[in-house]
Amino acid sequence: MKKKISLMLALSLLLFALGANPASAQVLLYTPYTGLAVTPGETIDYSVDVINDGDDIQHLTFDMQGLPEGWEYQITSGGKAVQQLSVRGNEEESLSVEVNVPFDVEQEDYEFTLVATDQNGNRSTLPFIVTLTEEGTDATELNVDQPNLQGQTDSSFSYSATIRNRTANEQNYALTANAPEGWAVVFKSGGDNITSITVEPNSEKDLTIDVIPPENASADTYEIEVSAAGSGTQAETTLETVITGSYDLVLTTQNETLSTDIQAGGDRVIDLVIQNNGTAPVTNVELSASTPTDWETEFDNSTIPEIGPGESATVKATLTASNEAIAGDYVTTFTASAQETSAEADIRVSVKTSTAWGIVSILIIGAIVVGIYYLMRKYGRR
Amino acid sequence: MYVNLARRLKTLTINRKEKFEQDRLESQAFSVIVRKETTDFIRSFRIIILLAIILLACFGSLYTAITAISDAIDTGNAERIGGDADLFLKLFTVSDGTLPPFITFVGLLGPLFGIALGFDAINSERSRGTLNRLMSQPIPRDHVLNAKFVAALMINVVLFFTLGLVVTALGILILGIPPTLEEFLRIFSFLVVCIIYIAFWLNLGILFSVIFKNAATSALACIGVWLFFNVFYSIIINLISGSILKPESVTSVSDVVSHQEFILNLLRLSPNYLFSEATTILLSPSVRSLGPLTMEQTVGAIAGPLPLSQSLLLIWPQLTGLIAATLICFAIAYVIFMRQEIRTN
Repeated sequence: MKKKISLMLALSLLLFALGANPASAQVLLYTPYTGLAVTPGETIDYSVDVINDGDDIQHLTFDMQGLPEGWEYQITSGGKAVQQLSVRGNEEESLSVEVNVPFDVEQEDYEFTLVATDQNGNRSTLPFIVTLTEEGTDATELNVDQPNLQGQTDSSFSYSATIRNRTANEQNYALTANAPEGWAVVFKSGGDNITSITVEPNSEKDLTIDVIPPENASADTYEIEVSAAGSGTQAETTLETVITGSYDLVLTTQNETLSTDIQAGGDRVIDLVIQNNGTAPVTNVELSASTPTDWETEFDNSTIPEIGPGESATVKATLTASNEAIAGDYVTTFTASAQETSAEADIRVSVKTSTAWGIVSILIIGAIVVGIYYLMRKYGRR
Repeated sequence: MYVNLARRLKTLTINRKEKFEQDRLESQAFSVIVRKETTDFIRSFRIIILLAIILLACFGSLYTAITAISDAIDTGNAERIGGDADLFLKLFTVSDGTLPPFITFVGLLGPLFGIALGFDAINSERSRGTLNRLMSQPIPRDHVLNAKFVAALMINVVLFFTLGLVVTALGILILGIPPTLEEFLRIFSFLVVCIIYIAFWLNLGILFSVIFKNAATSALACIGVWLFFNVFYSIIINLISGSILKPESVTSVSDVVSHQEFILNLLRLSPNYLFSEATTILLSPSVRSLGPLTMEQTVGAIAGPLPLSQSLLLIWPQLTGLIAATLICFAIAYVIFMRQEIRTN
């Protein structure tokens, strides 16, 4: 009988032990977003619910297992770091788990597990998967959308660039450009000219880089190195500026005066000078003139096949004024038009009327005076 | 033969000497008459009254010109008045509307002044009987006429140059702007034109004083001619132009131009019109032409003042006409006077 009782006790003990076993899984960990895609340098913030299914109070400690090297985590609740968490039976508490992804990580999937251990040594686990969307670097990036621009010397070359701080610290970048002699490079941010720019960690800023070539830049492809240097990090990029050469035609006269005089009905030879001040040759320069009505112009050479950069050509224009022109100023516009560009010169022409009638009238008056003199001689001595 | 030549040469030198002596005496006599005539003019009430009227008119017009210019400067309208750069010449041409400008006064009163100087030159001497006495002196007959003309012209020159210079000086004083050389030469030319114009009326007066024995008739005739050209001539031309420029008779642009030219040339028979054209061109350098302008002539033209030489060329025909008319009047008066019988009176 006594043996029977001891057997029953042992059985009941076993039963108790069996009944206690399900109690080891009484704490559950739950968060909805267990699989996240992040970028390097990002901080992942998990909100984890700790659910106590049992009737007893559970005292829990936490650990993170399988976290890759360099990654950091922090468990907080209500704004305070948590060492141990107690959950009453059939209640739940929430935890905040922060995971800092370092900058320098490979682009792959990372798995780690949050482990909660209660006072009895029972463990509950919550597995996480983090997918890195891009390769991480601990560096600065300087990207230009369109690093190659083409234009004439007087065009504006405006590159838009993005500077990206992928380091853990805030960086103050000094911006420099290695431009050829005579070139100007201006960095702009939000409309202001700048020489340095501050970028928060893991953020980016937009820059505008204006390149101003000198007026006499010859047609060529120019490479300009642009660099942003922070502390311990620096980024470089190369801008390409393609100058096609400028067309600048100037029409003037030999002595650079743009006025002349002319007798009504007479003619005047004007030495026109066509200068190519550009950096590219102009071709097929044709001369024409817009004159007052009934005036005529003749050019000794009305078409010039080509004028090289820095060269000039001289053309003799013969301007013939109308007989009907009245005294005073008229304007005549000479135009030199090439295929590429054109130039104009307004020449003020002062018309002088013929003095022939003046002489005639003096003769008339002279004749009358002579007549009176004759009269005096004839009648004077009576 | 040589002796002969020497004798001839000697007589020639003696003749020359005698002639020179005679010329000297004659010119002395001439200057005496001129001096006497000038004194008479200056002392005569007729001239003093006219002088006062002219002075009043000129200072009045100067005052209106200066108020017009200062008003324009005050109201910021200087652009309009001084826009063509010849502000100083505006003294003679603008007015604020209360009185006519200087050139109008000179054009109106100048002829009266000329007539007043000339209309009784000969006939008053004749009616007083002093002409006979004068003729009995050992002076050539034409000296009387010439001296009267020269004396009147001298008065005329002195008066108008004084007036012009006084207006210029007051203009500088009040406006504070000195005239440029070009402006000064234009004012000078304007005064010369005034004197020529007045000399014409003076000669007309002398001519009538030779023709008409009565001074009153001569004065009336002069005033009549003056009124005719001042008032009636333009009315007559208007009547003629009304019939010439009828739309039915005009078929083309060149017709319009030629008819317009014809009417202009009719107008130019009047010395008043010649004078007003000449003064307009001289005192408004931006005026480039007197006749009608065709479109062809204006294309490409820039507004700008003409140089004085070009302005003078433009009015050369007008000046010639005025000078010729003056000289012809004088010549006619001269011939008639020389042929007149004096002693019958």
